[in-house]
Amino acid sequence: MKVEHFLEKNEVREITIFKKLVLNNGILSYIDMLDHLSISKASLENDLDSITSRVADFDTQIKISYDGQAIELEMSDEMSLQHIYRFYLSQSIKMEIINFLFKHHEFSITKLTQKLAISESSLFRKIKELNSYLKEFGLKIRNGQLQGEELQIRYFYFQFYYYIEDKSTLITKRSDTQIIQTVDSLEKFLQVTIVPENRERLTLWLIISKSRVSHKSKLYKQLRKQMQPYMKDPLYHRVHVMILRYYSRYSIEVDEEEAMIHFAFLLAFPILTEEDFHEYRLIRDRHAPIASLDTYIAETIIIHFKFRRPPYMLERDMYYHLTHIHTRLYFFKGDIEIYEYEEMLAKEKQIVGKNLVPFARTLLTTSTDKFLTTEVKDNSLIKMELLKYVSLLALISFKMTTVIQIGIDLKMDDLYKETLTELLKQKMRPISGIQIERYQPSKVYDLVLTNEVSIEENQYDEARVYILSEIMSSFDMMTIYKIIQELNT
Amino acid sequence: MRVVIIGASFAGVAAALEVRKKYADADVILLEKQATLGYIPNGLHLYWDNKIDDLDAARFITTDQLKKETITYYLGATVQKINTTQKIITYDYMEQEELMAYDKLIIAAGSRQLSEKIDGSAQESVLKYKRYGEAQAALSKVKESQHITIIGGGQVGVEAAHLLTKQQKQVTLIESMDYVLFKYLDEDMIQPIEQKMIKNGIDLRLGQTVSSIEMESDQKVTVHLGDDSVTSDAVIMSVNVRPHLPFLDDYVTLHTDQTIAVDRYLRTSVEDVFAVGDCIQLSGPGEDMVYIPLINNAVRTGIVAAANLVKPTVTFNGSSRTIGTTVFGYYVASTGLTEEESLFTNRTVKTARQEVRLNSLNPSDTVTLKYVYDASSRVLLGAQMISTSNILEKINTLALAIQSKLTLEELKQADYFFHPLYTQMVSTTNLVSWMDERADEDES
Ligand SMILES: Cc1cc2nc3c(=O)[nH]c(=O)nc-3n(C[C@H](O)[C@H](O)[C@H](O)COP(=O)(O)OP(=O)(O)OC[C@H]3O[C@@H](n4cnc5c(N)ncnc54)[C@H](O)[C@@H]3O)c2cc1C
Repeated sequence: MKVEHFLEKNEVREITIFKKLVLNNGILSYIDMLDHLSISKASLENDLDSITSRVADFDTQIKISYDGQAIELEMSDEMSLQHIYRFYLSQSIKMEIINFLFKHHEFSITKLTQKLAISESSLFRKIKELNSYLKEFGLKIRNGQLQGEELQIRYFYFQFYYYIEDKSTLITKRSDTQIIQTVDSLEKFLQVTIVPENRERLTLWLIISKSRVSHKSKLYKQLRKQMQPYMKDPLYHRVHVMILRYYSRYSIEVDEEEAMIHFAFLLAFPILTEEDFHEYRLIRDRHAPIASLDTYIAETIIIHFKFRRPPYMLERDMYYHLTHIHTRLYFFKGDIEIYEYEEMLAKEKQIVGKNLVPFARTLLTTSTDKFLTTEVKDNSLIKMELLKYVSLLALISFKMTTVIQIGIDLKMDDLYKETLTELLKQKMRPISGIQIERYQPSKVYDLVLTNEVSIEENQYDEARVYILSEIMSSFDMMTIYKIIQELNT
Repeated sequence: MRVVIIGASFAGVAAALEVRKKYADADVILLEKQATLGYIPNGLHLYWDNKIDDLDAARFITTDQLKKETITYYLGATVQKINTTQKIITYDYMEQEELMAYDKLIIAAGSRQLSEKIDGSAQESVLKYKRYGEAQAALSKVKESQHITIIGGGQVGVEAAHLLTKQQKQVTLIESMDYVLFKYLDEDMIQPIEQKMIKNGIDLRLGQTVSSIEMESDQKVTVHLGDDSVTSDAVIMSVNVRPHLPFLDDYVTLHTDQTIAVDRYLRTSVEDVFAVGDCIQLSGPGEDMVYIPLINNAVRTGIVAAANLVKPTVTFNGSSRTIGTTVFGYYVASTGLTEEESLFTNRTVKTARQEVRLNSLNPSDTVTLKYVYDASSRVLLGAQMISTSNILEKINTLALAIQSKLTLEELKQADYFFHPLYTQMVSTTNLVSWMDERADEDES
């Protein structure tokens, strides 16, 4: 599933226009644009008119001008492609259907057509489209409900709200004292520390779980099978005890599988810190499927890099990321392609060299052969996990060649964050007179590069803040270069 | 003013009596689904324990007492619908649908022992006995059964296991947590009881969850748990109770757990409608809202709702979840937070364990106590006791100490009587550390 699946064709094209412009320093000729989109000049004019009327809301933050020859885009420093995506998505009917399902658990056709102000036939068409994308998650919308394995339902909602819908709205609306307290209790029960970024993820997950927990007739067939090797797992046991105790405090009869669902989530997403995960790794059953695959893949990587042993902390880090990848592959189906797969792969190739990508593919084949017996192997989950393998390999090779740690503060999944931070560092190395490193809150910087507007004011003190429009775009690089020059004078 | 109360059990009756006391000319009406009044939910246990000769003797109130208080009651009246906009109740009575208008409504419809997760648990042969009719049926079924499976190791389940073992029945007890009575005791306090259970031949299945129950052709019943199963002559459901409120209209707000949301005055989201007893959450030992279905809470909430009928005056001050029982030769009691439960609060607690002599004679029986207190303020937050002597009354002292937010030091100064037959140099409910009165304080 892709983000653009929630949009109409013309909307996707409009976003493509934005993207193309950003990638070309904000200016492009009609000829190049027509060539890129393969549409007629009249359609392009249509699209541009539509964009103009839409961005009117943005006042001075976005300006687009075109004269039949060239198209020019101006965006303020706080604007990014992400904002533009968000803006288009906020008007999507398909998004509203999913939001409605999440909120009400079911719908009647009449009620929903009224709410969305669309005809029955177009509602059916939208549902049909959604179902074709939900298929890779093993889910479908039927009889006014989202149907499928409970773990998959929660996983889908999680990805949806984390990457597509505006997660902060949901979190602000639904994160009550009970949810906050639950996160704290989880820390105490598992004796772990949940750092702020992981806390956001966990909070979202708990909000989704809370809304699902009293839903009747949930499906766990697959999950129960997958959990067989983990019934005696120490982390699972602790989660199980916590869940039983937690729900015994309410008049909720909880399924045994509720604990299984949380167990899978805790290991598939960066929730635990590396340190806490390491503690768990020392006591987990090394013969259970995920652990044994971790070991196998780690050994394969070590051999590939021809080092006897990677530095201790790097090896630990590798296991940390491998478990996330492998837990995803073991328990979950489907994914949302948050990064343009081909583009990302091409970018990574540039940096890591050609031979790491085929090696990553080999690793992926090994893993999927182990876990996915009859499942379709060509879906977004597989693609995303490949990117993660590549990122991990890149990370390892960077760390091995001791790059100086120099203020990049990216807000995204740990693995991507680390990788992209590295990529940025690489790209900027030729610029002389700078020291660049991953942002550390205790230090003072002149410039902070980030990809999201910070919620906290003055988080970066005196530092100039630049919001990346699209990480690694030449548009960004130019602007950054300009800012650096400005700062130098 | 007409005050209608749905449900005439502890909460409903307490509310009715208090309304009568406060408003002499109010029209007080109780609508009760059951055909008889005032059955005590663990009457069957009293009977098995030979404390009463007839189940019918387990009553906490009689119709005569209600009549004397000029409280109107309808037995066998099942409320089907309420309309909070028009303030009208629809109920079935003597096979007729009846309507009744109210000025104030108190929902005291309580809870039931039903599982929606365990397939087959609704069958009649799966015994529950909160109500009189159910208890009668359970009584005769158990009489003719030899091997009985109990689902749930809470207070009801463990008591039942104890009383049935005493009747030479073979008992299997299934509990999904790692140990029994987990809501009231920490694991380190439960050991003697569990050992005694095993010694008494109880087949204790801990950490296992029942998925379904199946009737066999030969009148036997099979309980499935994971890959395992147990076949016995009868099954007792002693899982958590929960409310069943199909008659509410959409204006009455519910919590996720289907309890009715009320404020500190026990008012629901609708004006003039109150909810009490097992239908609501209360502020619990950790001071957050939790579900604690106990009779003392039912009675106290009934009284508070009555006090707030016309104008909000008294807030409900919550529950310390104080319990006491006797099982397998031990008296056990608990109040307030347990150490494990403290993980759900943002307090840091410390605990202390102590074995204390009960009198000044030699030898004297002892009680094992566990205190849970706030690590910085040293305010007492919880206490657990276990002894082979009857120390149950003592838990109330500690419950009061918790409610009054006493520190361990203040508790030490409490003024208790001394008599060598009943006490020793320092009272049982002080945390002391003298001579052989060992107090192990831990740093957790
Ligand atoms: C076996 C057993 C033993 C227990 N022992 C103890 C104990 O020793 N100590 C203790 O503190 N707690 C004990 N409890 C818990 C205790 O039973 C409850 O906390 C208490 O009964 C709650 O009182 P209540 O009035 O709120 O609700 P309930 O006692 O559940 O009463 C609700 C009443 O409402 C009626 N009702 C429900 N729906 C309708 C309707 N639609 N129309 C009309 N009437 C309706 C019901 O028939 C019922 O009589 C025990 C529970 C069980 C199951």
